[in-house]
Amino acid sequence: MIDLSPAAREHLLALADDEHMIGAQHATWIGVTPFLEEDLAFCSIAQDELGHALELYQLLTDDVDRFALLRDAADYRSCWFAERSTPEWSDALVRHWLYDHAERLRWQALAHSSVAEVAVLARLVDREESFHRQHADQLMRRLLTSGEARPIVIAALHRLLPIAVGIFDPVASERGAIDEGVVASSSADLAMSWRTTISQQLETLGVTIDWPVGTDEQRHRTVRDPGFAAFHDELREVISLDPGAVW
Amino acid sequence: MRTFEVFLKKAGKDEFRHVGAIDAADAELGVTLAREAYVRRGEGDDLWLVDRTHIVVGPPAFVRGNHDKPHRHNDGAAIAERRRQQRETA
Repeated sequence: MIDLSPAAREHLLALADDEHMIGAQHATWIGVTPFLEEDLAFCSIAQDELGHALELYQLLTDDVDRFALLRDAADYRSCWFAERSTPEWSDALVRHWLYDHAERLRWQALAHSSVAEVAVLARLVDREESFHRQHADQLMRRLLTSGEARPIVIAALHRLLPIAVGIFDPVASERGAIDEGVVASSSADLAMSWRTTISQQLETLGVTIDWPVGTDEQRHRTVRDPGFAAFHDELREVISLDPGAVW
Repeated sequence: MRTFEVFLKKAGKDEFRHVGAIDAADAELGVTLAREAYVRRGEGDDLWLVDRTHIVVGPPAFVRGNHDKPHRHNDGAAIAERRRQQRETA
């Protein structure tokens, strides 16, 4: 745990919670992805995301397990897109693609952070993230050029985009974090870059999308996705058996 | 889906060694998935994927044809025996 201003803390918490939720959501696919090789790759990506969450949580607390799992729902700052369960593989894959392109921009905005530990971490993370994007880009390209898969992937895109734009819902204290040099760009600026990247990639594959208008349902990430409570219970299933246990 | 045979090589003079196979939609994804399946813990520095359909297979009946030629085997025993006799008669 390091000394952080309230604004820095909240900004890093949003990324940490997103990484935690997306990693945990990806991990629910262990053993049930469409084929073994993909299972290994996807769950490896899940493990990476959980690792990034752990690194960030360690800057925020000395008791990662309790902090990560036993907070009240209102104290999380994850976005709905990361929290939501995706029973369809197509949705899990499209989310992975959309999320990892957003994640790249978010970590890049931290590469020269005034919080030295975060700047170092951002550069380390980028190495792993480039693999995640390669995996997602290749699969999307392949599936969107396959007659059978294309309509399924496009349907998933249309289902997910309305909540995907919520990745860039800023925490209430974002302005402070920018002023302190913790993060270089606003969420609104990152969202613009992200939309350009996503639109360009889709255009090369002949897919056009209408960007949905974001809503304020997440209220600066203070309100959880309707499915969060059930997922949160699942995450706490083991620690709840004996919250005082020492591992 | 295509099946690729996977080969890995450590840096230096080691040769490429077969480590297994992988199913992937194309060669590009094959490399991506093979990296996670076989090189997660730095098991190699160079990776080859060979499309299984490109492998030239020797017909087993032809390859096994030499199993019944024990005179082509040399375990060194005959030479050792000859040298022993030479030493004793020297």
